Amino acid sequence: MIVLDALLQGILMGLLFALVALGLTIIFGMMDIVNFAHGEFLMIGMYTTYWTSLLLHMDPLITLPASAIVGMLLGLASYYWLVKYLLRGPMIAQLFGTFGLMLFLRYLAQFLFGTDYRIIQKGLLVGKTLALGPFLLDWTKLSSAILSLIAFLFVYYLLHRTKLGKALRATALNREAANYMGIKTERMNALAWMIGGGTVGIAGGLIVNFWYVYPTVGILFVMIAFASVAMGGFGSIKGAFFAGILIGMLEMLFPMFGQLVGSDFFGPHFKFTVVYFAYFIIVVFRPQGLFGWKK
Amino acid sequence: MEKIRDAFDFRDFSKPEKIGFAIFTLFLLLFPWLGAGSFVKAVAIQFLLFSLFGMGWNTIGGYGGQVELGKAQYVGIGAYTVALTMVWWKIPFWVSMPIGVLIAIGYSFIIGYPLFRLKGHYFAIATICTSLVLQDIFINWKQVGAAKGIELPIHEHPDFLYMQFKSDTYYFYFIMALFYVAIFYMNWFRKSKLGYQLRMIKEDEEAAESLGIDARWCKIKAYSIASAFVAVGGGFMAVYNLYIDPYSVMDLDLSIKIALMSMLGGAGSMWGPIIGSGFLVPLDRFLGSWLGAQKGLIGVDFMIYAALIMIVSAYQPRGIWGIIEQFRKR
Repeated sequence: MIVLDALLQGILMGLLFALVALGLTIIFGMMDIVNFAHGEFLMIGMYTTYWTSLLLHMDPLITLPASAIVGMLLGLASYYWLVKYLLRGPMIAQLFGTFGLMLFLRYLAQFLFGTDYRIIQKGLLVGKTLALGPFLLDWTKLSSAILSLIAFLFVYYLLHRTKLGKALRATALNREAANYMGIKTERMNALAWMIGGGTVGIAGGLIVNFWYVYPTVGILFVMIAFASVAMGGFGSIKGAFFAGILIGMLEMLFPMFGQLVGSDFFGPHFKFTVVYFAYFIIVVFRPQGLFGWKK
Repeated sequence: MEKIRDAFDFRDFSKPEKIGFAIFTLFLLLFPWLGAGSFVKAVAIQFLLFSLFGMGWNTIGGYGGQVELGKAQYVGIGAYTVALTMVWWKIPFWVSMPIGVLIAIGYSFIIGYPLFRLKGHYFAIATICTSLVLQDIFINWKQVGAAKGIELPIHEHPDFLYMQFKSDTYYFYFIMALFYVAIFYMNWFRKSKLGYQLRMIKEDEEAAESLGIDARWCKIKAYSIASAFVAVGGGFMAVYNLYIDPYSVMDLDLSIKIALMSMLGGAGSMWGPIIGSGFLVPLDRFLGSWLGAQKGLIGVDFMIYAALIMIVSAYQPRGIWGIIEQFRKR
């Protein structure tokens, strides 16, 4: 029973991890860039929902579009002002470029908001639980998971059922050929960054309902997102979805395992260590991931 | 014997480089007597320490072209070995430091063997992961002080065996000696067989393999050399700061700084890491002390730092040394 409960909690958390990983995997699939600033995009999405709901006295779920828009603008700005130039350079420059962006956003947040830990305290769903048979679920987590599932499905639909999505995928598969077919690849890159920023902004707006926000929160989520993306295969959207859920369950099950064994060593403080370790094992033994098509 | 001659052979450098190096050496030798305050001295020690780290990283990251972002774990191994053996068994620094280096080399082989199956981004993120795992273990490991860290016992009198001095001047000369050993080693390394093999791998790994170079083994060797350099610096950090915790010696930020300084100065060149750390360490320190003291400006120094990183990686990925070479070719 206790294991089932942990699994359920893990799935809810995993749906959010999947949404965080979605942007990362789209951007990687498009232009082979790992966006280190992804976690900071999330952090900014969290702050946006936090401040808009606090200052406008609205429910955090209603102010979610604000986070999405801020995320999209952030993605677009970082593409046009930074990543476009980074693409000309070697891989190491790309890594450090997005890393610089990450540091910049992190300390900008620290400068603006200080290092306080903040969480949404007032809201329609905050603090309420839903009793589902023997399981107790937080409404905030449940609604976040459902909304992130909707967002995920929307992006999936956009990429696989619309002409725009087809153009985007064509660019990811073969940039030159797509260019010959009259697809404006530059714009497709910008679109990928916009979708990436938007989805992670939404994820941030959802997570802040039950997770403290502080300027360095990004690194934790970005490492989890790296792990999900690697597990699912870099560039694979389906992979990111299932790997996110898997990691959510892993992260919830590990402390459970410690409890069952009764060992102090396998405590909850190691739950993210397990995720990093899982990343390492997966990329070493199956570098293309579970659903990967880019190696 | 030939190896030693090679290490001291600076003939293939251009004249300005030789003169610059001589002036720089003279300046370093006289530095403690130029009336610098304790803060400036501390910055100078940091500069030499990070140059040492950077030169280590340069073997695998610069010459080998592998984006390695997990050097902090070896700083940690070096620092913790020195600190723990000193606290537990009172082992002098001169014994524990080589032990730390050996442990770091051994660990780097164990980690490196699976790690170098990976390439590019996968490799970069995996190195971060290994470093974070080790940091997490040390944060939670009660026998080694957990998150609180360890304090080294302070001796009443200056003690050469335990590297405890009253004045920063001694530390300065000690780290300077290490720095020059590193320079001579790097001077040999860039002309060694492994150095040429690594540069070939960086240019074109498949071509290198087709010529019979075992790319993976070369990379592992360079990785362990880099780890040894960094572990020496870690040992020094322990005796210099007299206090270490997992956040100060194993943090991701430290790994990034090490790689960043080499890259900013110019990865894969002899002087790159030194220029990079000579530029970034003072910038970091002075900005921090100048802006950090003013209320409401916390974080601005890092923002300037970050903006600089973005500008350099967008416009001149070959770093400061790349800019210098560009001007020289004109």
